[in-house]
Amino acid sequence: MAKKQKPKLAVWKFASCDGCQLSLLDCEDQLLPLTERIDIANFPEASRAVVKGPYDLSLVEGSISTPHDAERIHQVRRASKFLVTIGACATAGGIQALRNFIDVKDFISIVYATPAYIDTLKKSTPIAEHIRVDFELRGCPINKEQLVEVVSAFLQGRKPNVRPHSVCMECKRRGAVCVMVAHGTPCLGPVTHAGCGALCPAYHRGCYGCFGPMETPNTREMSAAWERLGVKQKDLVQIYRSFNAYAEPFYSESRIHESKIHQG
Amino acid sequence: MNFPLNRAMMAPRGSVTETALKVGTLRMLEGASLDRLFGALSKRGYRLLGPAVREGAIVFDEINSAADLPAGWTDEQEGGTYRLKKRSDDALFGYAVGPHSWKKFLHPPAERLWQADRKGKTFEVTEEKPDTQKTAFIGVRSCDLHAIAIQDKVFLNGYYVDPLYKARREHAFIVAVNCGQAGGTCFCVSMGAGPKAAAGFDLALTEVCEPERHYFVVEAGTDLGAEILAELPGREVEGREKAAAEDTVASAAQQMGRYMDTTNIKELLYQNYAHPRWDTVAARCLTCANCTMVCPTCFCTTVEDVTDLQGEHAERWQKWDSCFTKDFSYIHGGSIRATSKARYRQWMTHKLATWFDQFGTSGCVGCGRCITWCPVAIDITEEVRAIRQAPQSPKSSPVGDKYGNS
Amino acid sequence: MKAKSIKVDYLARVEGEGGLYIKVKDRQVVGFKLRIFEPPRFFEAFLRGRSFREAPDITARICGICPVAYQMSAVHAMENAFDVKVDGPLRALRRLLYCGEWIESHALHIYMLHAPDFLGYADAIQMARDHGDVVQQGLSLKKAGNELVALVGGREIHPINVRVGGFYKVPGKRELAPMAEKLKRARDVALETVRWTAKLRFPEFERDYLFVAMRHPDEYPFNEGHLVSNHGLDIAARDYEKHFAEEHVEHSHALHSVLRGAGPYFVGPMARYSLNFDRLSPLAQEAARQAGLGPVCRNPFQSIIVRSVETLYACDEALRIIDEYEMPESPAVEVQPRAGSGFGWSEAPRGTLYHRYRLDDQGVILDAKIVPPTSQNQKVIEQDLREFVPERLDLPADKLRWQCEQAIRNYDPCISCSTHFLKLEIDRE
Repeated sequence: MAKKQKPKLAVWKFASCDGCQLSLLDCEDQLLPLTERIDIANFPEASRAVVKGPYDLSLVEGSISTPHDAERIHQVRRASKFLVTIGACATAGGIQALRNFIDVKDFISIVYATPAYIDTLKKSTPIAEHIRVDFELRGCPINKEQLVEVVSAFLQGRKPNVRPHSVCMECKRRGAVCVMVAHGTPCLGPVTHAGCGALCPAYHRGCYGCFGPMETPNTREMSAAWERLGVKQKDLVQIYRSFNAYAEPFYSESRIHESKIHQG
Repeated sequence: MNFPLNRAMMAPRGSVTETALKVGTLRMLEGASLDRLFGALSKRGYRLLGPAVREGAIVFDEINSAADLPAGWTDEQEGGTYRLKKRSDDALFGYAVGPHSWKKFLHPPAERLWQADRKGKTFEVTEEKPDTQKTAFIGVRSCDLHAIAIQDKVFLNGYYVDPLYKARREHAFIVAVNCGQAGGTCFCVSMGAGPKAAAGFDLALTEVCEPERHYFVVEAGTDLGAEILAELPGREVEGREKAAAEDTVASAAQQMGRYMDTTNIKELLYQNYAHPRWDTVAARCLTCANCTMVCPTCFCTTVEDVTDLQGEHAERWQKWDSCFTKDFSYIHGGSIRATSKARYRQWMTHKLATWFDQFGTSGCVGCGRCITWCPVAIDITEEVRAIRQAPQSPKSSPVGDKYGNS
Repeated sequence: MKAKSIKVDYLARVEGEGGLYIKVKDRQVVGFKLRIFEPPRFFEAFLRGRSFREAPDITARICGICPVAYQMSAVHAMENAFDVKVDGPLRALRRLLYCGEWIESHALHIYMLHAPDFLGYADAIQMARDHGDVVQQGLSLKKAGNELVALVGGREIHPINVRVGGFYKVPGKRELAPMAEKLKRARDVALETVRWTAKLRFPEFERDYLFVAMRHPDEYPFNEGHLVSNHGLDIAARDYEKHFAEEHVEHSHALHSVLRGAGPYFVGPMARYSLNFDRLSPLAQEAARQAGLGPVCRNPFQSIIVRSVETLYACDEALRIIDEYEMPESPAVEVQPRAGSGFGWSEAPRGTLYHRYRLDDQGVILDAKIVPPTSQNQKVIEQDLREFVPERLDLPADKLRWQCEQAIRNYDPCISCSTHFLKLEIDRE
């Protein structure tokens, strides 16, 4: 059988912490087998060698927050056949999207005495606001097993087993005790996208939503349940406003509680 | 309602040996002798699974002796809350059901069905071997016995039998416990599913805690149960002891925290697909699927095919799924139950109505888990009550189709 | 002689985005830019108004490579502000978690980012074709570190189990036992790593650095200690800003730190090692000696050996902690917020990481300052290159460029970290 040309993989970085692309290097057992099936053609964090595009599979980490990046992402799209965004920065704008909630000019004048030499956009936005994205893998950070699953699925031409339901289903499947019902600990699990394996509840901690909203999140009732546990409006604003702050409906829900504070 | 356990479906457990005791016999076992029962089971190769305190709840886990049981603990349950509390006595079974049900062992949350390996231009499939480990379930409540009977119908009846479930079921020894107290969300009495274990067990215990004495009244439900019971240091039960055990169960029946009127419930729900109450409950529902995960009868699964990076090896995994997800009803073009209203209605109507058509019984055993473990305290008994209080007549109901998709 | 320039558009095998531009005239470096174009993310700005409880989770997101370091510095600063003392097994568990991050991060750098330079490969994957066993060994070491972080912290990247006052859940002694077996194997690999890196060929290059690192009375420094230098500095965290200043330069999105009155200084494994050799375990000291390292190392290219020695130490220390561990009764000590300022630091894999917070009486953050190791090392990197390049101008351009990259990678720079606090100019949208 003639050896087929290996598909080419590229990893791109925008505004981010590098953690999601590190997940690829964290697949210690799969990394070398992976390179037998796929050509790591452009991955600056791992290699100084760059193979020219186009790339069969592009993994995009990070959000768009500078004019330069807003241009560059289009080049990445043009060079990519199948483009997967990885992590909360790329899928929701990341924690740096907290700037999207404030008037950046006021913010700057409060925080910084001297403006410097940097171009930045007023908002940090997800990749899909700029280009067509073929698949979004959620999480801050992504789950490395899910990353391997996405790459395996791509190589086999099948749909990845990445489900958009609640964290609760993973929590119950692993047999963890519900921290909200049994301990009265506020937990975002019911409105949060699965993928982490219900990590926080297993560590006796409420979910803080790092995988962003699940497919049909009822954040209004979630907030009402949190209020019954004694959580205040200002803390409700914060809990929705973290690593997926700019993802609907976390965005709108935090706005609702913010306006409640202002109404007194 | 009656839930007969179809014992004929189960393979006979070896030859019936000559025992001194018969099925139905009651014996008195001192509390301190419970470990003798566990010893007798362990000696026969049974792995013991039973209640244990973990992470602030009573869950089912591997146990080694009576010392691992939640002595002196009870639970307080209401819609959306569960708290462990200390009892005034040292009862070993003085609580209602917790977040786990026995389906986690009989119908596990994730299991591999088969794997395949590439062999040249073709591939070779290896089916998963049934698990032949003998397991003893300690402390199965009547509601859960009924739930197991319901899952037996699902997995063992008809043409398609689940061989993995069947093997686990055949190798299970069931030590039931009659409830001495009911939880705040219990309604087994309404569903005819408790609190006394009527069938489907090998041994059934009734725990009696008196100021000076702690003992069990033990009933043999099968020959194997009787054989084991005969080995234990018990004696014939005295009238006073029998009465005390009966009182215990009777008081539990009086304590039900919830009630559901099941009169014509199937027709009631069929006639109320378009009831405004579905909108009310849908507004509250998180579609988080907790109710289906904790339900001891919910059996739905999905299958996921996974492949390795080399494309040499593939596996098919079965995982608990839920009708509260969008993918669950995904067919070409989209999810046919796109709204949470459609999903909640599907779940409740299936439990209480269509289940009869499908399996000949109710799908609800009144264990109350879906009420306790719903983060926003949606209460199935309350939902039935609301519909019953203001039912819509079949004619006025602008229903879409039989399945309620308007 | 005509002017010549060395340009690396995109620095590879560093965490984050940076570039290098050097201009040489008459065998002297006349223009130097270590360009960092990693977009600024403004962590210090949006920490304002957040609860102290969120600081470990939020600051972890500054860097996916060393999130534990951010969590540790954050909790220490908060505990300093609230006068909370975390001691005994909880303190030991933090140290254990940190060992995991050091092992993971150092193994990543040694094998996947730095070693390919010495052997002439573009990356570890190409290196694996000829040195498969070596790369496998590195991956196994990295995996052990990751597993330790996941065991104590919940997951490898952005662990979820760290909180001000301790943890959310602590492992039982039995849960740690299987990890000890893995760490014993990792320790063997780490020892082998020291031997292997010692055999690499190093450019002749030594400078008389101003080393700065933490120092503790009894321990090799992770979470606690004074900041000391080889020139007599010895300060507590609250005095950091009196002694150190940050400068902003035009070509970079990162600030540069200097020690007031002394200038550029060096943080990271080589500084730590040179100031704390006597605190290493006997096994690590012996391995260092056998590798030909003295108690002070001044050749930044040999930092790969130093990292290996530290990795060996981290395995050794993790095993000691697991051996002595007794599960604490409570996973965290009680924390009562109060108004004031808190100062904290810890030794991230790449060097000292300083946090300072000002808080109100509810524990809401009013002001935050974070100084990561890479921004402290930038001036030293620049000085290294100013000295390194003129002596090597006769090398072919490709080779010289590669050696310059290698000289930067000596510092394992984490550019994502160094740019989180950039000052900025508002642009259109």
